[in-house]
Amino acid sequence: MNLDWSIVWQSRWLLLEGALVTVLLTVLTMLIAVPGGIVLALMRGSHFKAVALFATAFVELFRNVPLLLLIYWAFYVMPVLTGLGLSPFATGLVALCLNVSAYNSETFRSGINSIRKGQTEAGLALGMSRSEVFRQIILPQAWRRVLPVLASTWVSLFKDTSLVSVIAVGELAHTAMQIRSQSFRVLEMLTAMAAIYWLLGYPQAKIVDWIHRKYGVRE
Amino acid sequence: MEFDFSPLLDSWRFLASGLGLTILLSITAVISSLILGMAVGLGRLYGPSWLKSILVFYIDSMRAIPVFVVLVWIYFAVPIISGHTFAPFWAALTGITIHVAAYVAEVVRAGLTSIRKGQSQAGLAIGMSSSQILRHILLPQAIVRMLPALGSIISVTIKDTAIAAVIAVPELMRQAETLAGQTYRPIEIFTAVMVIYFLLIFPVTRLVDRIYIRVAHLGRS
Repeated sequence: MNLDWSIVWQSRWLLLEGALVTVLLTVLTMLIAVPGGIVLALMRGSHFKAVALFATAFVELFRNVPLLLLIYWAFYVMPVLTGLGLSPFATGLVALCLNVSAYNSETFRSGINSIRKGQTEAGLALGMSRSEVFRQIILPQAWRRVLPVLASTWVSLFKDTSLVSVIAVGELAHTAMQIRSQSFRVLEMLTAMAAIYWLLGYPQAKIVDWIHRKYGVRE
Repeated sequence: MEFDFSPLLDSWRFLASGLGLTILLSITAVISSLILGMAVGLGRLYGPSWLKSILVFYIDSMRAIPVFVVLVWIYFAVPIISGHTFAPFWAALTGITIHVAAYVAEVVRAGLTSIRKGQSQAGLAIGMSSSQILRHILLPQAIVRMLPALGSIISVTIKDTAIAAVIAVPELMRQAETLAGQTYRPIEIFTAVMVIYFLLIFPVTRLVDRIYIRVAHLGRS
């Protein structure tokens, strides 16, 4: 077995660029999927049956199919639905947003439901409006339950971005796999890819633990 | 835009064989992850300190590295080191198990530590050994408490088996890709396969929720 690790150093700028695209995808997806999740959670609680049903169907569908399939599906369906030729990056972003919005919606819903009904009723009895009750009583308590779960979702999302490599989004996994097939340095590149994900992901996992300890609610 | 679902009717056997392999891979991966994860979780809680630090490192590393990366590493890089090639199915099973077991271990740990200390102390006070306490007091309650989290791990595992398509395991996702390439009907095929995956995963999630609702009272203390 003869190994040549210099390929990793030679391709450092490409790998760095890939890592930046990975981080960018993670950040953009979360920026879209947090409001998306809130909207879906509110829609599920709506008095209009059709709205609630649509949101439920959306959430259950996109939570219960493999992300890889969702990415392929978006890749072929999005151009037909929108009539636009979307870039692989935009397609990957759409697929990730559909998946993570569905997850976030469940997070927000269970956070809101965890606050006992009596508190809403007490607020209403005091003459507060529904939106005042939501903003001043429910949200301040619910966010403590929501934040640790969102943090875990963040790390899962960071890892899941590797799957958009199958539609040639130039993020870390795709970049490393490309260099691997051009240089034939398979072991070196795959190990470097794993090491870079580890370097980026390990601190994130530790921060999530810290958030769970600091904000987690113990019954 | 016209849709043509006839490729699905013509090649349903091809997809069905993929579905069979997806189910087989899911079941074996869930069982092996539960066994390995249980062992890792117990080792991390009760093992000697050198073992604990190794297991914590393993668990946190798996939380940091994507399952896709683990799979391609095992399939493409391990043969270079060991000189043996893996069949894609075994590479996928090994990779998914190594990844998911870390999550199972965390659930096992959280479940066991959620049982109040007083119960173990009571067991010690009446002369039970620590393994008796684990088997008769802690585990029966902890397993019930672990159920919801294990249920979501099971559905994640089934979804993760689709990633085996990238190392050419001929499971449902891979068969769908192949068929889409051959028939030029990707929209119809991927939509149909999405429905199949949904029908496979959704009932599993629901079933675990149902079981939990029925047994939840056994986990209260």
